[in-house]
Amino acid sequence: MKKYTYLKATAVVFCVSGIFACTKLDQKLNSSFTASQYAGALGTSTLLHAAYVDVGAPYTDLAGVFALEEVTTDEALIPTRAGDWDDNGKWRALHQQTYTADAVDVILSQFTNLNTLSFDATNVLAFNPTPGQAAEARFLRALSLYQQLDLFGQYAYRSAGEDLLKPSKVYTGEPAVQLIISELTSILPNLPMVNTVSIASQDAAKVLLMKTYLNHGAFVNRMSPTFADADMQQVITLGNSLMTSGRYTYMKNYFDNFSPTNSNSTENIFAYPNTSGTKAENSGVTNRWYPTLHYNSFGAKAPASGWNGFSTVADFYNSFSLTGKTTMSIADSTVDPRMGERFYKGVTDVSGMKPGLLVGQQYDQNGVALLDRKGNPLAFDPNIAANLKETGNNLEVTGIRVLKYGPDFSGLDHANYNGFAGNWVVIFRYPDVVLMVAEAKIRSTAADMGGALMLVNSLRSARGASPMTMLPLSNPSNVSDPNTLLAERSRELYWESVRRTDLIRFGMFMTPWAYKPASDAHYMLFPLPSSAIAANPALKQNPGY
Amino acid sequence: MKKNLLLRWAGTLLILFALSPVFAQNKTISGTIKDNQDGTSIAGASVLVKGTTIGGKTDGNGNFSISAPQSAETLVVSFIGYTNQEIAIAGRSTISVAMAPSNTALKEIQVVAIGYGTARKRDLVSSVATITAKDFNKGLITAPDQLLQGKVAGLEITQNSAAPGSASTIVIRGNGSLRSGDAPLYVIDGVPLDGRSATPGLNISGGGYGSAAEVNPLLYINPNDIAQIDVLKDASATAIYGSRGANGVIVITTKRAASGTGTHLEFGTNFSSNVGYMKKYKVFDAAGYRSALNTYGIANQKNPLDDGGSSDALKSITQNTLSQDYHLALTGGNEDGRFRASFLGSQNKGFIRNTSLAKFIGTFGGQYKFLDKKLSIDFNLIAGHVTNNYALIGNRAGAAGDLISYALNWNPTSNIYAKDGSYNLLSHSIPNPVAVTDAFHDQSNVENYLGNISAAYKILPNLEYKFLYSINHSTGLRNTSVDGFLPLQGTLNVGLAAIGTAILTSATYQNTLNYKAKITTGLNLDVVGGYEYYKTNYSSTNITSNGFGTNLTQQNRTPILYTSIFQSAANISALNSFADPSVEIQSYFARANFNYLDKYYVVATVRDDGSSKFGSNNKYGIFPSVGVKWVLKNENILKDNTTVSELALRASWGITGSQSFPAGVSQAQFALNAGGGGQQIDIPNPNLKWEKTTQYNLGVDFGFLSNRISGKIDLYNKNTTDLLFANVPIVPSPNVIRYTNAPVNLINKGIELSMGGAVIQTPDLNWEVDINVAYNKNILKNYPDALIPTGGIDGQGVSGTFAQAIANNQPADVYYLKQFQGYDATGHQIIASQPSFQGDPNPHVIAGLSTTLTYKKFSLSVNGSGQFGYLIYNNTSNTITNISNIANGKNVSSYILGTPESITDGAVGSSRYLESGNYFKLRNATITYTIGNIGNYLKNLRVFASGTNLFVLTKFRGFDPEVNIDKSNGSGYPSRNIEYTPYPTPRMLNFGFTAGF
Repeated sequence: MKKYTYLKATAVVFCVSGIFACTKLDQKLNSSFTASQYAGALGTSTLLHAAYVDVGAPYTDLAGVFALEEVTTDEALIPTRAGDWDDNGKWRALHQQTYTADAVDVILSQFTNLNTLSFDATNVLAFNPTPGQAAEARFLRALSLYQQLDLFGQYAYRSAGEDLLKPSKVYTGEPAVQLIISELTSILPNLPMVNTVSIASQDAAKVLLMKTYLNHGAFVNRMSPTFADADMQQVITLGNSLMTSGRYTYMKNYFDNFSPTNSNSTENIFAYPNTSGTKAENSGVTNRWYPTLHYNSFGAKAPASGWNGFSTVADFYNSFSLTGKTTMSIADSTVDPRMGERFYKGVTDVSGMKPGLLVGQQYDQNGVALLDRKGNPLAFDPNIAANLKETGNNLEVTGIRVLKYGPDFSGLDHANYNGFAGNWVVIFRYPDVVLMVAEAKIRSTAADMGGALMLVNSLRSARGASPMTMLPLSNPSNVSDPNTLLAERSRELYWESVRRTDLIRFGMFMTPWAYKPASDAHYMLFPLPSSAIAANPALKQNPGY
Repeated sequence: MKKNLLLRWAGTLLILFALSPVFAQNKTISGTIKDNQDGTSIAGASVLVKGTTIGGKTDGNGNFSISAPQSAETLVVSFIGYTNQEIAIAGRSTISVAMAPSNTALKEIQVVAIGYGTARKRDLVSSVATITAKDFNKGLITAPDQLLQGKVAGLEITQNSAAPGSASTIVIRGNGSLRSGDAPLYVIDGVPLDGRSATPGLNISGGGYGSAAEVNPLLYINPNDIAQIDVLKDASATAIYGSRGANGVIVITTKRAASGTGTHLEFGTNFSSNVGYMKKYKVFDAAGYRSALNTYGIANQKNPLDDGGSSDALKSITQNTLSQDYHLALTGGNEDGRFRASFLGSQNKGFIRNTSLAKFIGTFGGQYKFLDKKLSIDFNLIAGHVTNNYALIGNRAGAAGDLISYALNWNPTSNIYAKDGSYNLLSHSIPNPVAVTDAFHDQSNVENYLGNISAAYKILPNLEYKFLYSINHSTGLRNTSVDGFLPLQGTLNVGLAAIGTAILTSATYQNTLNYKAKITTGLNLDVVGGYEYYKTNYSSTNITSNGFGTNLTQQNRTPILYTSIFQSAANISALNSFADPSVEIQSYFARANFNYLDKYYVVATVRDDGSSKFGSNNKYGIFPSVGVKWVLKNENILKDNTTVSELALRASWGITGSQSFPAGVSQAQFALNAGGGGQQIDIPNPNLKWEKTTQYNLGVDFGFLSNRISGKIDLYNKNTTDLLFANVPIVPSPNVIRYTNAPVNLINKGIELSMGGAVIQTPDLNWEVDINVAYNKNILKNYPDALIPTGGIDGQGVSGTFAQAIANNQPADVYYLKQFQGYDATGHQIIASQPSFQGDPNPHVIAGLSTTLTYKKFSLSVNGSGQFGYLIYNNTSNTITNISNIANGKNVSSYILGTPESITDGAVGSSRYLESGNYFKLRNATITYTIGNIGNYLKNLRVFASGTNLFVLTKFRGFDPEVNIDKSNGSGYPSRNIEYTPYPTPRMLNFGFTAGF
């Protein structure tokens, strides 16, 4: 040891005598900033901006939160088409409700996306935000926490500035609901009254509060949700303040809410902004239509562009008619226009596609019938293989397709199809407010059935659909019964990532529906990724996994 | 024995007596004796008249002068380590002899680079494998690691791709890491390298084409300049490199001129040509495809799958163009100094059309002595330019595919060209692979300068101070231009251009003090101590654009690249720029060697390593090692044994480290994004420290019959703890890896044998055989967390599928897949619902064989190597050539025809695609003919012809079982032996010559 000390002393002499002085080995980051540099040079607004950008990832792609909230329900499924769409069996597992802890990568990716949003929003609070900035950040965090509570029944939570190597605190059940409510309630006064829908406004916070109150009972007990009258009155009060604000009106054409120019929609309350042709911060909204369209949907303009996957089923299609039967060719008929199949300018004249539910023969913009890759008519067939594994000659065309967001064809057709579309991703929309108020009125201790029916029919009338005469919440023996509030929510809000939450709240999630038998209660919560539990033992795996 | 000797003496005396009258008429013969390889003079060589004891020895300069009888006709020149030579002396009074080192004995006197110094091979205490130039692999060599492939026991070198200039995966003694991108430390003439390359990455990876294969960081080293490569394997050898030594150290020594030998010019050339696939991936040809369509009942679809033509896409995308390589070296010097300058110009055509690697490398180095030879200055400069043309071949191509998937999937009944000679651009949604080779332009140009200068001053005869400064600066430019007429996703009708740059600079500064002393009789001490400072910086930029007006149809094509008219694009992205955090390492180190009577050796090293990468709480780490050796041969009992010529036992222990994790993660970092956002991008861990590998090594060195047979056996146990681990974050947190030092044990245990010998040793005929075999077992222990899926499978229909895992009590990257259980009655696969462990991707046995047969002036050397006891995941077969694609008009694996599988079966990742990786590859066979001197000027002319990758014996169905496509899943977890649309391996023929002037 003495020898070593001696040698080291010699070495130090070298070091001092050399051209280079001994270094302290302080790290220079070069392209990134230390916390203090960042706080000084750039301030809090960039952190808040990044938290907003985080909203795009979970809510845009059909393989995002959508897959968890919609593919697990009667509104969406993806059959495996020979060599396509097996994807480790995850799409079948989601629809058939056979998911296990780590087999469905979407569960992990959305758990991660939502927690990134939660962290980035929380981190704003560590950098001396203004009260307004803090309120916006806390709204974004509350959005993440709500979504996590909905999917996983629990969420991890950190205060600003915590050591990220230490376990975080985990909330579940009642305290989890109360934290979201108290956060939203306390920030409300500091949020902007009216703003662009890409920014957290008081209205957006109110919608999130309404959702939390409405689902309160289900979040605490998914097996048999109860609906406290106080919660329902909160939903009605908050909803009324939005409905009477004069800020929201129904759009003339339902599909204008999702078009490439939907930033003008008077129904949007909170949305993720995209700019046509711009890469920066574009959340990739093309993935609202890529995954569902057939390879030949665009004909010669963009060969092999669609991915031919996401579909829906006949039961959902039929629920648009109150008699429970629709024809397969309803163009410009009197049936509910929300199912689409009408000419839509900017889409049909360019590509032949008619937004909405795509069923039967498809045409190009010149009216020429399209063919599939085998040369058979490209005619979407509602009948899907019982085990969701397509093996027939028609495996390319099975399943009704859903084109809710009209593709952005501005500029170069092909470039934009593959590039960056300008449709905003709708997260909260006014009709949900109206339907939540209607539901709360029915669920109130003193149920107001007439008031609820009036609200629903005013919406239907705006959409061009015939009025309903009665409004039960749901039909326990038929999830697709068109004469229910549950069905009306589906007709208005289909493929908007609320269906699973609705089915659980209505006590219908375990019932059988198309291509899914009756399922076990534990599927009402998704399993936590086992790696997340290993990292933070405070997270507890949900029962049944 | 003694009796024998007595008899000989008696015999000699008798002869002397008989011949004594002749003594009066002696003649004087003088001359010099040199090494025929490097021209160094040989001192102490014995020169005898054949059949007598008359003669003498050479002096310190290799000169001799003897008096021989007039009748003497032949001299016998001998020296330990060299093959005896007989020289006819009739009518000559001066002779010059160039002696050839004898292979087996050469090893004994070799000097081995051991880091901050050298040691004689026989004094070596550590496990070090040394390969000298004459044993290097032959054929077309683009980077130094290829010289070693299959030559060293326990050194696993896998060329990741057959693309010219692609990187290799190098593993010494098993997989010691659970992060991707770990490699041994390279040290060139005492300068540790960064290990990265300034070749910018491909910038179109977003389009579903996958990232490109990595480029070899050592391309700028001229393989002809390398004299020797030493592979340091055990901890007593590598611990002197401290926190960078855990993955082994590869020390490259470049050639030096011999002093006082005059000026020499050496010139050589090598021509080579690809001659087809080493092993072709089997897909249907046109006739087979037609018959398969009938077999599966899809011959009469409305959209016919038979296009009526015929093509061999796999063949069409290849080229057999001639590659050329010219190298020359100029050496010279006198007593006080010497220099060597070399130049390499090579144009290496890849097997895939329009891929190539062109290199121009110049070096200049010298050693000069001043102040009565007390001061010596040593310098070396390498300037290299490397141009690489790439094909669209990605590591992780998704549904968009890549060139190899296009060629495999191209319908064999579709013609490549239309009647008018233009490309038939698209067939059944597959882009024309030949058009893609033609209109996808991706070129990188990298300039590299490596300069070092050192000064050594002998303060006392046994005390030397040395200072070294080195700088390595490398800049790269990559231009990618994809013509808009190609029917590729994201580029059709618009085209695409990308420009990227990269700059890599690292500097090393060393001070060492070396002290040699004789402590008492027989006890020698050799101590070296020093200080080293190392710094490296990397930065890059890139920009992309699309929306070009030209080359949007085949008819209006121009030869102008989009990257030359970048400004004309409709959409130009913002310029991205990035600079890595700087890395600084500061170290103090010392090594002491004790040698007692050449029987007992002890070596101890210690390094105190500080790195700016580590957390503020753990900046420094101490890495000690100790090794002992007992040379039994030098004990009295064996001293005179003629059978056993060498026998020594070695044992060592030591700790080495690894710090290969991204710089910056020990502290909180914030980044600014395009668009106005900014956020925290890491999970700071101020406790991060080096990963620790404790290694034990037991070894035996043996040699028999004057080392006619010699070799070594090593047993080792490597235990890596405090593993630098890419852990999942504890949410809520940034969505990045949480780097920790996991308290797990990654254990590699193994045994290595390397052995060589002369089977036949006669003056005319020599046959030498060298073999090496290594067994390694790898296992991860005490890993408490949830299994981490790694090795993502790519292609259409398998997203979210992983093939491998990091799991407790399993080897690193163990296969973790759903089990394939056959087919049901309808021809659909039965696949288990849950994945399970399915075997090991890490080879258990690696072996190499080289042999050289010399007959007079002919020599034939053959070398081959193989790996055994592991599985390869055939991702190509899984997602590119699976049966369901035939229904879409794509070509598929022809072996499927014999299976009961239905054409509507799905593409599922499962154990079905695990194939035995066992292989033996005949890497090279070379015939050399030494013509010798021609006239007065041309000297030592040799011509050679060789074949590379002549055949491979394997059951693996892919192009080449030796492949390692990087499937690391973006979170820093590595993958192992997954095969996916690789750049195919060609068979090659080379011929050329070397000569001196």
